[in-house]
Amino acid sequence: MIRWCSFPSPARTATPRSATALCPTAAPRRLGRTLRLARLLGIGAAVGLSLPTPVEAAPARAPKSARAPAAPALSFDAPTETATVLVGAQIHVGDGTVIDDGVVEIRGDRIVSVGRERTEGSADATVIDLAGQRITPGFIAAAAPLGLVEIDLEKSTIDAERKDEHPVRSGFDVSRAVNADSSLLPVAAIEGVTSAAVTPRGGLLSGQVAWIDLVAGDYRTIVSRPRIAISGQLGQQVAGSRAASFAALERALDDARFYRDRRAAYDRRQTRELGAHRLDLEALEPVLDGTTPLVVHAHRASDLMALADLATRSGLRVVVVGAAQGWKVAETLAAAKIAVVVQPSANLPRSFDELGARRDSAARLHEAGVRVGIAVLDDEHNVRNLGQEAGIAVAHGLPPQIALGAVTLELARIYGMDDHYGSIAVGKVANLAVWAGDPFELSQVPTQVYIRGRAIPMRSRQTLLRDRYRDLRRFESPHSR
Amino acid sequence: MPKASIRSMAAVVARHALVRGLLALCMLVPLGTMAGCRRTGEPTPPDKPPPPQTFEDQAPSPAPDPTGPRVLLRGARVMTAAGVVYPQGDVLLQGDRIAAVGAAQSEIDDAQGYDRILDLDGKVVTPGLIDTHSHIGVYASPGLNAHEDGNEISAVITAEVRAADSVWPQDPQLERARAGGVTTMQILPGSANLIGGRSVVIHPLPGLRSVDDARFPGAPEGLKMACGENPKRVHGDDGGPTTRMGNVAGYRKAFQQAREYRRSWQRYRDKKARWEAKQHAGRRLDDSARDDDDLPPEPPARDEAMETLMSVLDGEILVHVHCYRADEMSLMIDLARHFGFRIRSFHHAVEAYKIADRLAEHEVSASVWADWWGFKAEAYDTIRENAAMLSAAGGRAIIHSDDPIGIQRLNQEAAKALYAGRRMGLTLSDDEALRWITANPAWALGLEGEVGTLEEGKRADLVVWSGDPFSVYTLADLVFIEGRVVYDRSWAEQQPRSDFEVGLREADLRRSRAPSVFPPAGPSGRSEEPR
Repeated sequence: MIRWCSFPSPARTATPRSATALCPTAAPRRLGRTLRLARLLGIGAAVGLSLPTPVEAAPARAPKSARAPAAPALSFDAPTETATVLVGAQIHVGDGTVIDDGVVEIRGDRIVSVGRERTEGSADATVIDLAGQRITPGFIAAAAPLGLVEIDLEKSTIDAERKDEHPVRSGFDVSRAVNADSSLLPVAAIEGVTSAAVTPRGGLLSGQVAWIDLVAGDYRTIVSRPRIAISGQLGQQVAGSRAASFAALERALDDARFYRDRRAAYDRRQTRELGAHRLDLEALEPVLDGTTPLVVHAHRASDLMALADLATRSGLRVVVVGAAQGWKVAETLAAAKIAVVVQPSANLPRSFDELGARRDSAARLHEAGVRVGIAVLDDEHNVRNLGQEAGIAVAHGLPPQIALGAVTLELARIYGMDDHYGSIAVGKVANLAVWAGDPFELSQVPTQVYIRGRAIPMRSRQTLLRDRYRDLRRFESPHSR
Repeated sequence: MPKASIRSMAAVVARHALVRGLLALCMLVPLGTMAGCRRTGEPTPPDKPPPPQTFEDQAPSPAPDPTGPRVLLRGARVMTAAGVVYPQGDVLLQGDRIAAVGAAQSEIDDAQGYDRILDLDGKVVTPGLIDTHSHIGVYASPGLNAHEDGNEISAVITAEVRAADSVWPQDPQLERARAGGVTTMQILPGSANLIGGRSVVIHPLPGLRSVDDARFPGAPEGLKMACGENPKRVHGDDGGPTTRMGNVAGYRKAFQQAREYRRSWQRYRDKKARWEAKQHAGRRLDDSARDDDDLPPEPPARDEAMETLMSVLDGEILVHVHCYRADEMSLMIDLARHFGFRIRSFHHAVEAYKIADRLAEHEVSASVWADWWGFKAEAYDTIRENAAMLSAAGGRAIIHSDDPIGIQRLNQEAAKALYAGRRMGLTLSDDEALRWITANPAWALGLEGEVGTLEEGKRADLVVWSGDPFSVYTLADLVFIEGRVVYDRSWAEQQPRSDFEVGLREADLRRSRAPSVFPPAGPSGRSEEPR
């Protein structure tokens, strides 16, 4: 285990701290969940979360010019001969366009054509008539530890957090832990969620995000692409003051740059001390290059302003998740090209950071020109309620097609996966949901979901339990009262 | 209706064969002279728990106050939650009561006869929503250390505590619940303890200075109990219980103590009666025969916790049990029968669908979520069809929130549960699903004679929705509590607000007037704007 103590910094010795302050357990963005769970679980919420003391900011340096590595391939991409043509449905592409009575052709795991007519190449395909129905891209669960969590209170089932006293855990690669047999996957998939940005939690920099498709049981390829982003969080709890949390972030980035540029010297022990393990710093390189985003959970306007400043100065791709006060600084976020992921139902002042949280924040951010994603946050078991969240955003002013984009294409863009995901377009992975009505309505679940071109079984542990108890007469026993 | 009389009824009633004769008498005597009616003193036979008390048992709903303002809600789709939906209906409010509900009149004969007529074409009117399970006020927002007032974990049985004593009436969650159409809510202690204490039922009114300003007049009190993981986790390292069997032993011990407490009081009353008879007899004979040294018997010590549990045994306090698993709910039904009380509602009850038949048979309601699951082992078997399957089996399903976000959209949660049920092939009407968030929770709180449906004589607690209440796009336009408009969406940023958020918005500081405590002038509302 990497210990904070093995990477001393001048600031640390100057800052008094207690022994307990070394161990980050729960993180600020988990606070809401912690509070909710604590109540549910009948305990007082652990508000006084203990987290490590900060290091001071190193002076920011100009970013090294971004390299442009070729985008890695996805884990599967194995062409097959199976072909399917979906005809007759209204196609909601995800980018705002709608095609009435459209045709989507799928070959293997990819979409090979989208339009009004069938192509010649689809002669051998299975044709499925979806007249009167709608097709949308599959929804994407952002910032969710799907596949890492089974039962929140049972630690043996949780792989979402690196137990570590060090707040910089950027090398923590959760793609190694994704459980393809997790009961959460089919529960979400049959309600239209086809991909997830599997996100670790804890610390200042929590680790590396993995992109998965919700292909239950497919251990071989469930992770479409590992290490697509670094997840982290800001706030008072991380380092005793939010200013110190931000400084710790800047220092980690500075150390990562330093390490990147002087790797050989580091290996010869000819460099200064670094504030984190070299593997954690190495993992930050794609973030420094701007090839993958830094996805930060934060609520307070002051934290968002600090991130906007960072993004503007450094050229980092910064995404903010939560952003209860984002609407207050929407123009700044737009100017800094910071995308924001919100949960529209979250309108409570759950903490002082979240004062002013409001249901129309998605609409307000959108109007200010901010790219907006929508997520179910801190409740990975119910990412299936994404459509409901999008509906709530629409009820509070977000245009419906923008809301659809916010659970599909915008999220793919945010995570740099839009070459392959997020809309119904030629060459993209055929992750689709078919609906008999408005996909955001409470009356609707998909009639069929396609993941990687295949119609998935529309069953989950929950539907099977339902069917076992459909007829209770089966259970009558001579011992029953 | 005078508040005192409802309260006294609530305290009195147990529709027991033995009591029934007394009932009429008790209903006639004013509060304060009810001692003889309060308890029968007869232990309840274990095999015959008293049926749950209800307002319906006590008295017919009173006639509307003829002097109250007459407000006519015209032309909306009226969903009564009483089995009738009027595609175009009228609801007449008079004062704090509903005076009439029916199909829309084509013309109003005498517009002068109304203080206000609201044209609600295209809108939907339902009863006010009722939540059996909230911690608003006892776990307030923001979630500060200072606001942790929901679990008294100093002991594992705290039947003596009352949630009302923890409620912070400035919790900003209250006005958000109101905006979601909630007009009645039960605030419960948390679930850390086997017996957590008494609940309080409130109206989420604006301008509260104490919980007493919000109490639902005359509502029976509830008792919070908890099964399963929570008590053993919270207390496991601190004296126990450490197991589920330890939990159950704890309930048994507590109720056995309550029985003995009741017996000690009965013995005392018997002794006192004999003593009084003797004194009386002595007085009739002559002074010399009187024994002046014969002192009256000493009463046993009063014990608040035992008083609470004794009231449970007597059917005066309604029991709400946090319980997830089917096996544990079955055990709790048996335990309650053994001690001669009834459980009004199992809360969370994610496995209610596994024992829907038993819950229906024993007339225990289940307060469930539409879809929460997986946060702990006992919540692993949730299904979306839970409420629907219970409902279809003849049980009383309730959608509860236990959550300050969920309470703002109980209608949406009911909708998800309704449509899941229909998808599996169950026949469920919109009215039935509406009952999950109105009439059924009213029953669970012992208030079904007062609220929960749109029927003549009930309290004028209702919601005017912008459209179908089971649509994600629908919002509450107007919320009435006892005939007063307490929420109007058109007030926008001028909504009545509790103190906490005042001045925390920059916009507040730019206005010369402080944010509203009370609603602006409504159809029949209290209208005050601070000067």
